[in-house]
Amino acid sequence: MNNIYKHLFLKTLFLLVFFNFKLFAKENIVADLSENTVEISTTFSGAEILLFGAYDGKKNDDIIVIVTGPKGKIKVEQKEKKFGIWITSKSLTFKEVPKYYYIASNRKIDKITNLDEIKDKSLNLNYLKLGKVNKKLDMKEFNSWRVSLTRNMIKQKFWKVEENSIALNKNTLFRKTLSLPSNVTTGLFIVKILHYRNGILISKEESKINITKSGISANIYKIAEEYSTLYGIFAVVLAVFMGWLSNIVFRRV
Amino acid sequence: MYIYLPIAEQPINAFIVLGIGSLVGMIMGMVGIGGGFLLTPLMIFFGIPSPVAVASVANQLVAPSVSGVLSYWKSSNVDFKMGIILLIGGVIGSSIGVLIFNFLNNLGHLDLVIKLSYVLFLSIIGSLMFIESSRLILRVKKGKISRGKLHQHNWLHGLPFKTRFRKSKLYISVLLPLLIGIIVGILAALMGTGGGFIIVPAMIYLLGMPTSLVVGTSLFQIIFVASNTTILQASQNQTVDIILAFLLLLGSVIGVQIGSKFSNFLKGEHLRFFLSIIILMVGFILLIDLITTPSDLYSIVVLK
Repeated sequence: MNNIYKHLFLKTLFLLVFFNFKLFAKENIVADLSENTVEISTTFSGAEILLFGAYDGKKNDDIIVIVTGPKGKIKVEQKEKKFGIWITSKSLTFKEVPKYYYIASNRKIDKITNLDEIKDKSLNLNYLKLGKVNKKLDMKEFNSWRVSLTRNMIKQKFWKVEENSIALNKNTLFRKTLSLPSNVTTGLFIVKILHYRNGILISKEESKINITKSGISANIYKIAEEYSTLYGIFAVVLAVFMGWLSNIVFRRV
Repeated sequence: MYIYLPIAEQPINAFIVLGIGSLVGMIMGMVGIGGGFLLTPLMIFFGIPSPVAVASVANQLVAPSVSGVLSYWKSSNVDFKMGIILLIGGVIGSSIGVLIFNFLNNLGHLDLVIKLSYVLFLSIIGSLMFIESSRLILRVKKGKISRGKLHQHNWLHGLPFKTRFRKSKLYISVLLPLLIGIIVGILAALMGTGGGFIIVPAMIYLLGMPTSLVVGTSLFQIIFVASNTTILQASQNQTVDIILAFLLLLGSVIGVQIGSKFSNFLKGEHLRFFLSIIILMVGFILLIDLITTPSDLYSIVVLK
C-alpha cells in the first residue's frame, strides 16, 4: 500500500506541474489509476484500484465517476406458483447489459445536475442503456422486468451506486478507491470522470482498466475452451489417479 | 484461504470445500451414495452456477468411487458381473434420458419435472427404506431373529434369460438388472446425478442383493457414469471446473476411506436406516424449497 501512495504522490505532483502550464487554457481535468490492468490469478479475491486526479475547480464543483464493464446478455427469470409449487415460468433476456456498472460522486447526483443530463450520461441505474430484449412488451411490463434486473444486479454486486463517496480536496484534487468484486467479469472496463459546474459538464477524462485472467487459472480456462474433450479426459484421469493414490496411502495406515 | 475457480469464475473458501468433500465422501463410503444429490445442491447454495456445479461434481465423484471400489474389492465385496450389466443398462438409459431432457427443455417444463422427480423419488425410496430398516432393527432388538430366505420372490423373478450371479448368490433374469440400469440411467441424466440413490435401494429391494455387496457394486458403476458425464459436459458445455473438482475430491477420497472402514462395524439394516434418514432429509429440504415463497420472485442468469 505504501508504494501506491508514493506512486500517487509522484503522479499527482506531475499532474499539478503539467496542469499549471495549461491553467489559462479552458477548464481541464486529469486523472489516472494506480493500476491499468488487473490480473485474476488463483488467489484473486477482488481488487482495489485507486483513482486520483486534479481538476481546475471552483467552489461547489462536482465530480462523478462512472465505471462500465463489458456488455453481454442477461436473462431475468420469474417464478410463479403452479400446482402449489414455485417454478420458473417466464423469462426475458436483455441483450446488452453492462456486466459491471459503478457510479460514484461527491454528493447526491440529482443535486449535481438535471434529469436530461442524468438520462444522457446514464448517471442513474434506471436510465442505463440495456440494449434490446427478446420479446415484445409494453412499457409497463418492460419496466417491471427492468426493476427486477436492477435489484438483482445490485444484489450480486455487479452494479453499485455510491453517492457522497468521492473526496474532493481544495477544489483541485480528488481521489476514489474503486473496489472490484471477486465475481467481476473479465474484459475492458472504461472509467469516466465527469466534472460539473452548476449542473453543466465542463470537462471530462477517460481511463481504461483491462481485467484478464492470468497464471494457472488463465491456462485452465483456455485449455477447457480450446481442447475441451482432452480436458475432460484429463479431469477423469486425474480423479482416477487421486482415487487410486488415496487407496494406496490408506492401505499403509 | 480463498482460491479462484477458473471456470466458475469466482473465489471460494478452500477449507469449506475440503470439509464438505470429506463429509460427503464419508457418507459415500458408508452407504455407496450421496455424491451427486447432496453435493450438487450444496455447491449451488455456495454460489457456484448450477451447470458448473453439476459437471464438476460428476468429475469429483470419479475419485471416491475408484477409491471406494478398490477397498471393497480388497474385501471382495464387489459383484463385477452385476455391475457391468447395470452399467450397460445405465448407458442405454442415459442416452434415452438426454433425449427426454431435450424434449422437456423445449416444452419449457424441465425445471418442474426435475424438481418434482427429486422430491418424489427421494420421499418414496426414503420412507420405504426407513420403514423396512427400522422394523428390522426393532425385531433384532426384541430378539426375534428370523432370517429365513435371502430375499423375497416375486413376479420379477419369473423373467427369462436367467443367469447365476455367484457373488450375490442370486439366480435371476439378466433383464432385471438391465432394466434397472436403464431406468436409473434415464433418471440420472434427467437429474444430473450418478443415480446411486436410486440404484442402491433397487439392488437391495428389487434384486435382493446382500447389502455388503451393494455399496461396492454401486460405486463400481458410478465410476463409469460419472466419467462419461464429465467428458460429455467438458466437451459440449465447458462447465467442468477442475480446481473445484480437485478440492472436492481431495476431501472426499479421505472421507470415503474413513466411511468404508466404518461400514464394516455397522449392520446392513443400520446402514439402510442411516441412508433413509439422509434421503428423507434431502427430500424434505427440497420440498420446503419448492413450496415456500421465494424472497425474490425474480432471479438473473448471466448468459455466455
